[in-house]
Amino acid sequence: MQIIARLYALSKRNVILRYKNSLVGFLWGFIKPLIYLLIFIVIFSAQFITVSNYVLYVTSGLIFWFFFSNLTAQSVQNIISSAGLIKAVRMPLILLPLSELLSELFNFLLTLMVYFVVMYWFGMQYSARLFLLLPCIVLFSCFSFGITLVLSSVNVFLRDVGILWNTIQPALFYLTPIAYPASMIPERFVFIIRYNPIYYFIQLVRTVLYESSALSWTIWIQCATLAMLSLSVGLFLFHKLKNQFIAAI
Amino acid sequence: MQQYKMEMNDKLILVENLALSYWHNNVGVHSVKDLLTLRKNPFTLKPILHDVSFELDKGQSLGILGRNGSGKSTLLRAIAGIIKPQKGRVVVNGSIAPILAIGAGLELELTGFENIKLLLALYGQSKNMAEQINDICIFSELSHEVLNMAAKCYSAGMLARLAFSISLANDCDILIIDEVLAVGDKGFQEKCVQKIYELKSLGKTIIFVSHFPDEVEKLCDKALLLENGTIINQGNVNTICNQYRQLF
Repeated sequence: MQIIARLYALSKRNVILRYKNSLVGFLWGFIKPLIYLLIFIVIFSAQFITVSNYVLYVTSGLIFWFFFSNLTAQSVQNIISSAGLIKAVRMPLILLPLSELLSELFNFLLTLMVYFVVMYWFGMQYSARLFLLLPCIVLFSCFSFGITLVLSSVNVFLRDVGILWNTIQPALFYLTPIAYPASMIPERFVFIIRYNPIYYFIQLVRTVLYESSALSWTIWIQCATLAMLSLSVGLFLFHKLKNQFIAAI
Repeated sequence: MQQYKMEMNDKLILVENLALSYWHNNVGVHSVKDLLTLRKNPFTLKPILHDVSFELDKGQSLGILGRNGSGKSTLLRAIAGIIKPQKGRVVVNGSIAPILAIGAGLELELTGFENIKLLLALYGQSKNMAEQINDICIFSELSHEVLNMAAKCYSAGMLARLAFSISLANDCDILIIDEVLAVGDKGFQEKCVQKIYELKSLGKTIIFVSHFPDEVEKLCDKALLLENGTIINQGNVNTICNQYRQLF
């Protein structure tokens, strides 16, 4: 019970801190992908006439990408910026990254609501299939949380990790077929997306939000495996390092 | 287990052969060569505390003295359970109030009220939240207008008032004070000292770190002197305070 109260208080802190002194607050969660969409339409659209319903294709990938990118970018600094709390309060340290996940999820769900309304004009089909988004979000959260744990705990000792992550994020974004169709990638570069775990999750999301073809089990199993792998590596590393956080912050 | 319980019956705090070391980071631009050649481990273990043992009975108060960097704050954190001991054990037979240190745990971007709610939730409440917030407002003597401001606008004294009031909001058996009484104006300092004596007279235990041996002599029943992470002497408060005075 106390754990839930603590988690709630920490997540609330994150939400308050994020949009302090901001005019539109949580709506940024939706405006950000929209701005990206406009950029893509201006730059790329003529090239990708082949993709049917380009807006839906891009936004479905973008909102999930931004969930991942916001979460990891913010929680890289999470442990370091909570130094005051860690030194003063006795609590399970895992609550700190977990609260980041929860506040980002909260943000994401609000974005999703706006998304569902706006996408009506872009030809989204409402069906019972959309409920499959729930397990998608759970799996993607587990995956992102694992990455978060690795980044936030290693960054305490080697601050290079945070800088490196923020630098390679745009590269990771363009290496994932979010703004362009995967079929556009030349044969000899296909291995790049094959080893890009985020690609699998974006694909999974698209089978729910964008495509209407039959569902395949393979992609679900692939994503579940990736999520479990990331989560277990993250938890292992975090528990190895957490006792020494206080020495480095 | 049975025997262990017996032994803990009248002891409030038992620290046995406590050892703690921190990772010391050697990584830096000067050491890229070392990193590449793998000659030197980028992290070395730096011992902070070693072989620290003491015990404290219920209702006794303990003063901790020592030079800067002798491991006092680390020892307090180990007692409060914030750091896990690498060797030895720390057993505490009661509830501990959050450590009173300057600005402890306050989030500067949040307002006073938001800070109060956050910290109360993190510390775990024993009483009704609204009642506790009211107590904090009264004790800190900060107006509602001030508490609605971001904590970054506060002066050091106001931060100390807020931190002190939040730490005292819960009923706990043990109060840990880490050299905080120096900030705050005279009125608040006296109020804090008065509050501490009041808690002591109620039978609470106070662990007090200070650089003023006179205050330690007044407040504490026992004292220990830390030097380079070990206890060099412990026992009667007057003896220890005199020894501390002779260090300088």
